[in-house]
Amino acid sequence: MKPQDPLLHVLGQSVYVDDLPEPAGMLHAAVFGSPIAHGLLRGLDVRQARAIPGVVAIVTAADVPGRNQIGGMVQDEPLLADGAVHFVGQPVACVVATSREAAHRGVAALTADIDELPGVFEPREAHRLGQLIIPSRTMARGDVDAALATAAVVVRGQTRTGSQEHLYLETQGALAVPEEGGRVRIVSSTQAPTAVQRAVAGVLGVGMHDVEVDVTRLGGGFGGKEDQATPWAALAGLAAWLLRAPVKLVLSREDDMRMTGKRHPYDADYAMGLTGDGDIVAWQVEFFQNAGASADLSPAVLERSLLHATASYGIANVRAIGHCCRTNLPPFTAFRGFGGPQAMFVMESALDHAARVLGVDRSVLQQRNLTRTGDVQPCGMPIRSDNAVRTFEQVISQFGFAAKQREIAAFNAANRRFKRGAALMPVCFGISFTTTFLNQASALVHVYTDGSIAVSTGAVEMGQGVNAKIQAAVAGVFGVADARVRLESTNTARAANTSPTAASSGADLNAAAAAQAARAIAERLKSHAAALLECPESAVALADGRVTAHGAATEWTFEKLAQAAYFARVSLSAQAHYATPGILFNRATESGVAFAYHVFGTALTEVTLDALLGTYTIDRVSCVHDVGTSLRRDIDRGQVEGGIVQGVGWMTMEEVVYRDGKLQSANLGTYKVPDILAAPALDVAWLEEPNAPSHVTGKAVGEPPLMYGIGAYFALLNAVRAAGVAADGMLEAPMTPERALLLLCGERP
Amino acid sequence: MPDTAPPSPVAVAPVLITLQLNGEPTSVAVPPHWTLLELLRYGLGLTGTKQGCDKGDCGTCTVRIDGEPQLACLTLALEVRDRHVETVEGLGVGGEPHPLQEAFARVGAAQCGFCTPGMLMSASAYVDNLTLQDDPVVRREDIAAALAGNLCRCTGYTKILQAVEEVAQVVLDRQREIEESTAEEP
Repeated sequence: MKPQDPLLHVLGQSVYVDDLPEPAGMLHAAVFGSPIAHGLLRGLDVRQARAIPGVVAIVTAADVPGRNQIGGMVQDEPLLADGAVHFVGQPVACVVATSREAAHRGVAALTADIDELPGVFEPREAHRLGQLIIPSRTMARGDVDAALATAAVVVRGQTRTGSQEHLYLETQGALAVPEEGGRVRIVSSTQAPTAVQRAVAGVLGVGMHDVEVDVTRLGGGFGGKEDQATPWAALAGLAAWLLRAPVKLVLSREDDMRMTGKRHPYDADYAMGLTGDGDIVAWQVEFFQNAGASADLSPAVLERSLLHATASYGIANVRAIGHCCRTNLPPFTAFRGFGGPQAMFVMESALDHAARVLGVDRSVLQQRNLTRTGDVQPCGMPIRSDNAVRTFEQVISQFGFAAKQREIAAFNAANRRFKRGAALMPVCFGISFTTTFLNQASALVHVYTDGSIAVSTGAVEMGQGVNAKIQAAVAGVFGVADARVRLESTNTARAANTSPTAASSGADLNAAAAAQAARAIAERLKSHAAALLECPESAVALADGRVTAHGAATEWTFEKLAQAAYFARVSLSAQAHYATPGILFNRATESGVAFAYHVFGTALTEVTLDALLGTYTIDRVSCVHDVGTSLRRDIDRGQVEGGIVQGVGWMTMEEVVYRDGKLQSANLGTYKVPDILAAPALDVAWLEEPNAPSHVTGKAVGEPPLMYGIGAYFALLNAVRAAGVAADGMLEAPMTPERALLLLCGERP
Repeated sequence: MPDTAPPSPVAVAPVLITLQLNGEPTSVAVPPHWTLLELLRYGLGLTGTKQGCDKGDCGTCTVRIDGEPQLACLTLALEVRDRHVETVEGLGVGGEPHPLQEAFARVGAAQCGFCTPGMLMSASAYVDNLTLQDDPVVRREDIAAALAGNLCRCTGYTKILQAVEEVAQVVLDRQREIEESTAEEP
């Protein structure tokens, strides 16, 4: 039982924000959110709330000493509503009380005077009205108009994908403690400590060095705590600053679901041109992204949709257009996949359409058009791998796709009520932040005189195992057991200007920085050992916890060497900075090398549908995944398995429902995520690649597997069709049992 | 500046109750409107039991009351008077982790860790109730049924199933050994 976090987790000793020992005099905060989706805020009646025993203060926009602004990419998000409200749940006031209960009572007793204005909830409507967060963007290559004009077959249509609640099991929260000299220390459940630090400093009107943000771990993030953790930390920080007392703000599940943004819903128009043989010659797609009320990360999410417009396929003539549409819903935000899944769904829907017109199986078109070395992405970046083809072929052979299809056809011929379906889903996902400057990380490594090692980086542990990977990378450099390396909390005083732990790149960036710092110390140690052993430096190595000379173990253990180096006044600490080489994406020209590399994979999904009820089981998902030479395949397997089930959830049972801007699916009674009974059996196989490009920890693995879940939608669609239904209308996800039933009844859902 | 007012005392007087807590006799003063989850986390400082939804939907607050898995957020603290409450902190035996804790950590069944304590309490109830006489086989369906009230957003459940299956198999094997050695005696 070596790894730090898993052992603490099972013993119940892992500390999350809400578990921290409460500092003396700590107050609790709760947030009053707008009950109206759009309106002018005339005033707030605080009289009743103030009379509630235990209520200490009611903080509003007027109390902000600095700027009432927490927008990251675009400065369009007030911390507390000022003059207007733009979505239901938008923070209007923060009630601070001596107990959590009193704070919530205080919130319940507040009433806002709001003149209601018409709300806009659909992205196409927002687009018509010109409500765009950034100017629309186009990424194009080749001549799509000419190719569409001359293509043997052209299919045109529309698709819709729904939102998705992150449902990290630990809700958003932060604990802010005022310290001497006007400093504030904030423990936050955030993927982006620096974003919190910057926002709090801005709100308080102090320097970033006056705000320390510390993160030990998150009870799940999935992108939902990248920008969306900031408001709660900033409110706790503001209240602590104003009241000179520690303040904890932990959202209830319902507040969290109502007030925070989720995965972006997308509407899309597509046109695909193909040859009679099924080669895609033209692809035009127009995304209408529902961005919600403020920018949050929406422009970056949209950018990734454009960059993934061709999904896993090599297409020469492409035009991808993206509209970032402002609506009166909570600001939609990062969620595992970050615009990639939405783009891939449109492509797979078009392939489904084309396959119907051409009278072939969708998998035939998929296989013909898979991207390979030499293809060029819409941004101009070349594809440098044939792994799309290799994973696709391996899934077909390893999991017996042809035999399964025959088996399913026989089953469907013999059964009237139950119908089975299968679908293949290839994934090609670019690794790097598309915002180039974010592709940097720093690390601070200390070796103590007893030979124990401590590492601080900008990476946030949220269950993805980034700490264990960094630990393994650093232990490898020093030739010691992993257990000798401790990962410190992520702290802005030890790792400054951190990029969010996001874009699947946390391990890539931070393990590289940590290994670099470790190497600097190891070189000093080896140099000192060479002097002690009177042998050339090149003959010295660190392995198995000791110094070796000319490949033979010496009497110098690692700890003895560390101590000796200290007495010889050799520095046992190093800080290092890593920046991903070779990437540069230019937004002005919509071109460049956006990614360090691509991750590939293919999944086969099998489902069984009850054609009478519309209910179904996702029976099995089998995949071949490309993770390179990983340091910790056990951790990678967990990421793949969890990603698949989350993706299947997005495509099937998870349905976020707003009515007039009010969230109807605001708790787990009305919003269903896969439980253990709904989870499919999973077969995860790896693509073995002898000459894989080297990455410190293996290829990034956080996001790509989520998109295997899209296969569940098309497997269900096949099962619906096996029941004799055409299902040739607009494709809309998720395929809830309700939607499946409507399709089976021949209704347009 | 914000409006400030002095804190007021809690209106309802706490009630003193006794219970067995992880095997130890415990007496504690409980505000009568508190849930067991509030008592554990705020009154007794046992933060291993998590608050995930407060509505009985997610299972992160699962504890065992007289051996049965129960949701602490839907149980009034006063209901556990003179009963035995077990939490993740008491799951280990004699200072050693419970075999389920060992298996969860080893196979990677705990990722972010937030669902883990509740998951372990449901799993331990399942494992403790396994008997060779009732059912000599470990079935994934039975494990899934036992864990159906505990949501996990990280793992996709495969490793959780694997961990519980391993321990369940060991438990049944041990029972079988005991039975066989008893049968061999004259």
